[in-house]
Amino acid sequence: MLRFFLLFVLLLAVLFGLELTPWAQDWLVVPWTSALASISTSIVTLFDGNIEATGKVMRSTTNGFAVSIEAGCNGVEAMLVLLAAMLAFPASWKHKAVGLVIGILAVQLLNILRVISLFYLGQWNYDVFEWAHLYVWQALIMLDVLVVWLIWVRRVPRIDDARAPPGAPPALAAG
Amino acid sequence: MSENEIPKLADGGRTASPRFLKSPLTRFVAATFAWLPATFGLWYLLGPILLWPVRLLVQLVARAGFGDLVRTIESGGSALTFITTLKPGEGAGAGVVSVDVNMLVYAFGMPLFAALTLAAREASWWRTLALGYVVMLPFVAWGVLADFLKGIAIAASSAIASQTGFSPWQRELIAFAYQFGSLILPAVVPAVLWVLLHRAFLERLRLRGPS
Repeated sequence: MLRFFLLFVLLLAVLFGLELTPWAQDWLVVPWTSALASISTSIVTLFDGNIEATGKVMRSTTNGFAVSIEAGCNGVEAMLVLLAAMLAFPASWKHKAVGLVIGILAVQLLNILRVISLFYLGQWNYDVFEWAHLYVWQALIMLDVLVVWLIWVRRVPRIDDARAPPGAPPALAAG
Repeated sequence: MSENEIPKLADGGRTASPRFLKSPLTRFVAATFAWLPATFGLWYLLGPILLWPVRLLVQLVARAGFGDLVRTIESGGSALTFITTLKPGEGAGAGVVSVDVNMLVYAFGMPLFAALTLAAREASWWRTLALGYVVMLPFVAWGVLADFLKGIAIAASSAIASQTGFSPWQRELIAFAYQFGSLILPAVVPAVLWVLLHRAFLERLRLRGPS
């Protein structure tokens, strides 16, 4: 557990540092954020035609209300946390790859729901929007990451389990 | 239809619920969602009390590390106002720059941690809650202080930022501390803390196999 924890913290710090570099921002984060706005807009236009996306901004053409998808709301940090947690856990690379693809999909699906819900909450009541934006959705996205990781951990055979002699105490509980 | 094909409803309906509802992980997630409204509500109502130690911690660090920049720190509910020694600009008279920081923005992990802990239903849950709360306090203080420093060194006009005396690399450090303290720590600390304090629970979950 200690090895997992230290590796997780190290990986997260490195990945987050890399995310903040201008290269990663220009080539990964900004295009992804724009794509997220476009995807969210495409979904919303299925039932509401009065919406347009410009870059990372979603705007209502009816009342002019707009949301700009910024760092922390594009799901990138949540993906980095999941990436660090899966890479740090002792499992095979194949299981890590499958877990990451499905996990990132799960995180981003919920993130799209966050963006769309905030877009409508903001038009309805700004105080509720602020509450949901600053506190509730942040916690829910992290909960999503944790649940995805827990499901994955339950399903993967751990490398150190295979090495351990029969009857040995489980490594996760041993600390 | 053979006996094997008959749906298992014969045991008084106990096996009639879908399989996923019997999974301990599903029950845990459902319990977490059930606790979240209550923990968020309490956290918001008790915010000024819960975050009082954060205010003390911030005051302590601000006095020790940035005594030349911070004149005083005022609190109103769950928000802090940093009254600085910085002038708004040339010839601005007696006015000084102040920075408001909402502490709740860096503390939303508290209700999340509480909901996860209560949903796990471990025997010493109250001790875990208390320990988690204490451990989270310095991380909340980190976010609040980094927010203040970002406010005067990066977000402020050059006339104000130049008075802080921060070098370019110190500003880079403040920017990183702010980003890490706002985007990573508030969400990750409660989750990591919960995992570390519930190793036995997690091992039981894992040994029961996939949901």
